[in-house]
Formats: sequence, C-alpha cells, structure tokens
Amino acid sequence: MRSRLVVTLLLALLTLPLVPPARAQNALVISVWGGNWKDTVDKVIGKAFTAKTGIPVEYEVGGTIDRLAKARVAKGNPLVDLNFTTTHVARLYISDGLYDKLDMAKLPNSKEIAKEAFRSDFHIGSWAYVYTVVYRPDQVKEDITKWSDLWKPSLKGKIAMPDFDPSHIITIAALMEGGNEVNWQKGEAKLKQLKESVAAFYSTDAQSQDLMKTGQGPVQVMLSVNAYHLQEQGIAVKVVQPTDYPGIVGIDTMGVMAGSKKADAAHQFINLALSKEIQAELVKTLRAGPVNLGATVPANLKGQPGIFSTTAEWKERGYIMNDEARAKNLPGWREWFTANIVKK
Amino acid sequence: MLRAAVAAQLAFMTLPTVVVIAVSFNPTAILSFPPAGFSLRWYENVVTYPQFQRAAVNSVVVTAGAVLLALPVGTLAALALERGRLRGRHVWASVLLSPLVVPGVAAGLGFLMLAAALGLLRSRAVLVAAHVALVLPFVVRSVWVSVRNLDPALERAAASLGATPWRTFRRVTLPLLRPGLFAALLFAIVVSLNEFVVSLFISNRVTEILPVAMFTYVVNYTDPTIAALSSLFIVATFVVVWLADRYLDLGRVFLQH
Amino acid sequence: MRLLLLPAVVVLAVFAAALGALFRWSVLEFIPGSLQTGGLTLANFRAVLAPQYLGAVRDTIVLSALTTVLTLVCAYPVAYALARTPSRWVRSLILVLTLAPFFTGAIVRTYAWVLVLGNTVVTWPVPMLFTERGVLVGLVHFSMPTMILILAAALSHIDPVYERAAASLGAPPWRVFRRVTLPLSMPGIVSGALIVFAWTLSAFPTPELLGGGKVKMIANVVKDLGLDSFNWPGAAAFAMLALALTLALLTVVGRVSTGRAT
Repeated sequence: MRSRLVVTLLLALLTLPLVPPARAQNALVISVWGGNWKDTVDKVIGKAFTAKTGIPVEYEVGGTIDRLAKARVAKGNPLVDLNFTTTHVARLYISDGLYDKLDMAKLPNSKEIAKEAFRSDFHIGSWAYVYTVVYRPDQVKEDITKWSDLWKPSLKGKIAMPDFDPSHIITIAALMEGGNEVNWQKGEAKLKQLKESVAAFYSTDAQSQDLMKTGQGPVQVMLSVNAYHLQEQGIAVKVVQPTDYPGIVGIDTMGVMAGSKKADAAHQFINLALSKEIQAELVKTLRAGPVNLGATVPANLKGQPGIFSTTAEWKERGYIMNDEARAKNLPGWREWFTANIVKK
Repeated sequence: MLRAAVAAQLAFMTLPTVVVIAVSFNPTAILSFPPAGFSLRWYENVVTYPQFQRAAVNSVVVTAGAVLLALPVGTLAALALERGRLRGRHVWASVLLSPLVVPGVAAGLGFLMLAAALGLLRSRAVLVAAHVALVLPFVVRSVWVSVRNLDPALERAAASLGATPWRTFRRVTLPLLRPGLFAALLFAIVVSLNEFVVSLFISNRVTEILPVAMFTYVVNYTDPTIAALSSLFIVATFVVVWLADRYLDLGRVFLQH
Repeated sequence: MRLLLLPAVVVLAVFAAALGALFRWSVLEFIPGSLQTGGLTLANFRAVLAPQYLGAVRDTIVLSALTTVLTLVCAYPVAYALARTPSRWVRSLILVLTLAPFFTGAIVRTYAWVLVLGNTVVTWPVPMLFTERGVLVGLVHFSMPTMILILAAALSHIDPVYERAAASLGAPPWRVFRRVTLPLSMPGIVSGALIVFAWTLSAFPTPELLGGGKVKMIANVVKDLGLDSFNWPGAAAFAMLALALTLALLTVVGRVSTGRAT
C-alpha cells in the first residue's frame, strides 16, 4: 500500500543520521591555523603529499592556544596526527607529553635546513616570518621606519595589536630599555606609555586583517605573512624593516602527536614539507622564509622582511627569542598585558 | 510622521540585506560597497568549497531526521493537550514549550556533556536529538492551533459510520489538520536549518551543519564568500515567506489568536 | 489519549538529561588541561563573580537593557502600522520584511552587520565594528522582528473604537496615543520587553562576531570556557547562570501577560 511504502521510506531516511558521514578513514589529520595558512598547507604540501602517497589529508583548524587546549583534552587518544604550532607553544606541547620524539632517520631532507630550524628533538621548523610594524600609507601620512615610531604621539589611536600573544611588543619594549625577554620587566613602563595609542586589539588573524581593511587599525604589529596576504588581496600596506631593533622572528614548527596511529605518514609529510621544492613553493605562496637553505627565493622576495635565505640572514635580520623563556613567560605576559594594557 | 518612522525602521531592518547581496558580487576580496565590479567567483567558491558541501549534506540529513521525528511526536502531543483532559494542562504546555526558554549555550553545552558521557561525540544522532527537542515547541504550537479548531463532531460522524480510530485519524483528522501541519513543517525546517548556537557545541569538523560551517569560515577568512552564501539564504527565505504570506495570510497567523 | 504525550515526554527527557549533565558539571571541580574533575564544589559559581567575568555579566545586563529600550522605541511605530493598517499590501510588506530576517538565521543576519559596521558602505566617524556600539546595533536589529510581532499582536487586540472615541472627543493624535493606545498596549510592551531582554541575555552570535573578542556577553564566556579552554565546570556554571536569569525573567512575563492561551 502506498502509505506503507511512504512510512518505510521515511523510517529509512531516519536511520541516515546514524550512518557516520563519509570521511576517509585512513586520512592524515593535520592541525593548523585557519584561513590562508590552511589553504597554503593544503595547496602546497597536502596535495603533493596525497599525490605521492595516496593518503588523503584532512585539517583541524583553530587558534594556537585553542588547539593546544583541545590537544590536552584528547591526550593519549589524539584526534590529530600532525601539529603545526609556533616554536615556543610547541614547548608547552612537549612539557605536557603531547609530542612524540621525531625519528630523524625518516627525515632525510632535514640535512638541508638551517641550524635555527632545529628546535628540539620533538619539533622542527617549517617556515619563518617576522613580527614587525605594518601600516597603510594611505591612512598614515608619515613614514614609519623603526619600532620606536610606534610611541609617536601622531600615531595615537591608530595602532592595533594582538591580545593573545604580546611576546613581541613586550620583548621590543624590554630591548629598548636595555633588557630582553628574560628580564622583561625593564620594559613595563615603556609599554604602559603605549597604551593610549592603541585603538583596538585583535584576537584572530582574520580580525587583524579586518581592522586593517576597515582602517580602524591602520598601524599594526603584524606577522609578515599576513601582511603580504593583505597585499595580495589588494590592500596597500607597507611592511617595515625596522632600523632600531630587528623584527621578532617567528618560526612555525611541525610535530607528531604522541599516540598517533599515522606516525609514519606524518613523518613522510614533514619530510616532504622540508624538501627544497616544497619550500620554494611555500616561499612563493606564503611569502614566508624557508627553513631549507637550498630553496630558491625569487628575486623580488629576497631581502624582504621575514624572508631569510642565508645563514647570515637568519642571524642578522631577525631577533630570535629564547623559546623556553618565551614559553615559560607567556601566561604571565598575557595576564600582565591584559590587566595593564588591554583593560581600559 | 508615523509613515516616516515606519519607513526608516523598515530601511534599518533591510539595509544589511541589501549590502550583503551587493558585496557578494565584488570581484576582489576587499569588501566594498557599491561593488567595484561584477563577479560570480564567490558563489563559485561557495559551491566548490568542500567543507560547505559536506556541511550542506549534514544539514539536509539532520533537518530531515529532526523534522521526521518532531512532526509525529508534536502532533500526538498537540492532540493529547487538547483532547486528553489532562489536569495541569497548562503545566504540560509549558513543559512542551520549555526548550524555547533555555539559552542556546546552556542547551548546547549540556548536550555536549551528555554526548561525551554516552560516548556519542562524533555522530549526527546527537545533532538530530537536539534539533528534535528544539523544533518540537514550534511543531506543538502550530498543530495545537489547528487541533483547537477541529470540530470533534466530524470525527464522531466518521466513527458512527463504522470507521476504525486509525481510519478516522488518517482520513478525517489528519487532512483537517493540514494547515497546522504545514505551518509546523515550515517552522521545523526553517528553525532546524538555521540552528546555530546549540549545533556549534555538538558538531565537529565532520558533522557540522551549514550555519556552523559558515561561522567557522567567517572567523577564519575575510573574503565575501559568506556574503554569497548569505545571499542565497536570504533570497530563498524571502521567497518562502512571501509565498507563505500569499497562501496562508500571515497576518491572520500572527495578529489574531 | 494521555499516552500520546509519551513520545514528546521522551524527547523532553533527553533534553532534561542534557540540562542535568550541565548542572552536574557546574558543581564539579575543574582540573586545568583535562576533562577530568575533582569533587563537588561551589568554586565555579564563585568564579562567576571574579573581576574578569563579572565585567561580562555586567556588560550583558547593560547591553540587554539598552537593547530592550531601543528595540521598543524602534519597533513600536512599525507594530502600530502593522496592526492598524487597512491595506493588505502594507501589512504584507511589513510582515515579509519583518519575518524574512527572522527566518534567515543568526549567522547570515550578523554577518550582514559585520559588513555594514566594517566601513563597507560608509566610513563611520567612530569605530563601530568590534565595539559595544556595534554589538548594540546588531542586537537591536536582531530583536526587532520579535518585538514587532509581540507589540503588533497586543495592539491588534485593542479595539480601535477607543481611539476613535477619544479622537471624536477632540483629543489630538499624540494625546490619543498617550492616554489611550499606550496604556492599553502596556501588557504587550511589558511582555515584549521582558522577552527581548531575556533572549538578549543569552545572545551569542551577535557579540561573538560583532564584538571581535572585545565585547563579551555571558554566552560568549560559556563558549570560551567550554569550547576553547575546556573548562567545562566553569562553562557550566555560567550557562546555569544564563538559564537562571532567563527563567526568572520569563516567569515574570508569564505573570504579566494576560489573555494568552499558551
């Protein structure tokens, strides 16, 4: 009877939700930042990896600290296999026992990378960039050439800063007062002076770009890669190579999650990511600095902030913070920053 | 003066919609209005973005499941409320409508915790269960209105002519409840398809429904793709609401009880 | 007949179980960095009063109150027109323009404001996006349809005969409004205000997207604690707070609104 047929069909439809949605069961799951970071990793490394090994790749996206929180909760039974994170936050993963030691025998390409890219037995650099001053010349009528320009009264109310990681501005303020990231308190007074100049704080990369696009925060302490991404989208921003103190280097790293069942595939991915060819592609697409010294850097990108191509450049053109100090101080920095700078 | 105020308010309510649709055709990733040109690339992105494709499928599956469960459950409940001679009928009514009152984050977090306790974190079944609960009040309310207008004499007549209770239900009651059922179906589909807050808590990357996928996108990208997807939603909703008004005279539904 | 309620009861039992889980977690001790918990404690509720969170609670109440007042003022004229217009065309226009946004979903509606407030159409003289002003605009816009429908329903119950009588006795329009319409529509105003206030207390997508992490309402704190920091006990305490506030307010609505069948 027709109605019985209808009822049967409807009941069949009802069981659909119980069927797990189609997903590749043997996929390599990678945890990475969202937006153009994930897009680039997928386009440059992921697709090549799948083409080479036949293993599909899936991505979990989120902010640096969010993904750490999720990883902690899933400890022992990781939901991801390979993790991208900043070099100092990786120390937190390590101290929580979330990473497995890297099997260097499976990473032959690592022989070609810069010394600075070897961060520890557990994590290895994938690319580099600098945090520096980025601004819109059409909104800011003067030239900004050094970090100390940020304190100029003419820039009052034009600056936007990240509120989730104040490491760089804290370090710069400390350096300006003769200290560094270890005895950073030396820069506290200087930082407080900057407070009135800050118009807004952003919590995500997307927000930082929004603030730049809308003109609400035309001067920012920004990651060089994000600045180049804005340029690609048609927003004319200038990326400063500060003349007083270098930009603060950031090195993003890869690690294999402890307990992952795809450790082999993860190592293959890492090795591929470290290869000359993939690194050259990363430079072109992301405008990040390669870790592989043999990777070709296009002429127009040579010497740009954040893009180091020789051992000398690694040493001179960026300030590499002490990872452990940075990781240890980060929570304290965030608290101090929130209480003294972010809060009205 | 009243007319000016009303016009201003209607403009306020509609302005964002216009902006979204205009921006969706922008050829570059910069959000500008009026758009600097005309391009369908963001619509293309919507249709080809794998996460949206997966989320769309999830949305259809979850909404279908929720509606298929909520409609019969809600109809039976409405019948019981009206005909069941229950003591404390209003208490029951309040209980049935209670999911409307619970803040989305509370329900969402609660379902997440319940699912974790039952080990069900990665299935769409949890989403369906939550959606059924969230959609049920709308179904009950819509059908109840129809049930109240149902003349029991008609059903008694059918019974007196020898029809079994099931036959009476199928041939007399249900057809007479059609307007209420139709309204219930409409509400259920719209509410479930657009449900965001609760679903945010209980989806993961694999099971997430379309609104959650859109939220994730907005938080990670700053291009007009969501403007394109939004425009599609907006146009579809306007058409549905306009049709509903034409055939159901929404004025009657909302302005009189 | 009463058995027909059973399936619905099952559904609601599941819902109640979810709320039960919420309550249970709110009284368990939080162990940072994991989903394990310690023993029973009231610490999570005390944490609600901590300065960083108290600000969110205060902001929520202030924003909700402002939203309610502004929405009331903006919605009243539209509701009046909707209830009183003789023209089917005008009524349809207002209904479609009011209902369509209502049914389009939170993300679509909020994203539209991300665009408008983000200097896409006009460059605002003061920053709007990622500020409290911006969130307020979004919240008012969000609550308009609800307020319009509730007010219109209340107004449509007022027999126009009263207004006509007052006018025929020589009262100017604004006086008719103040002395006849407004008082008679008071139950609608009160229930509309309370409902909008209660819903805005638990608003999530609007402050999340328009607040840019700077404007936090209770619901955002729940999400931060629950999904980002995995402090489930803390998140549960906040969620219970939102639930309690909403229930308290809506109980008042129930007492005030008369003549409603459900």
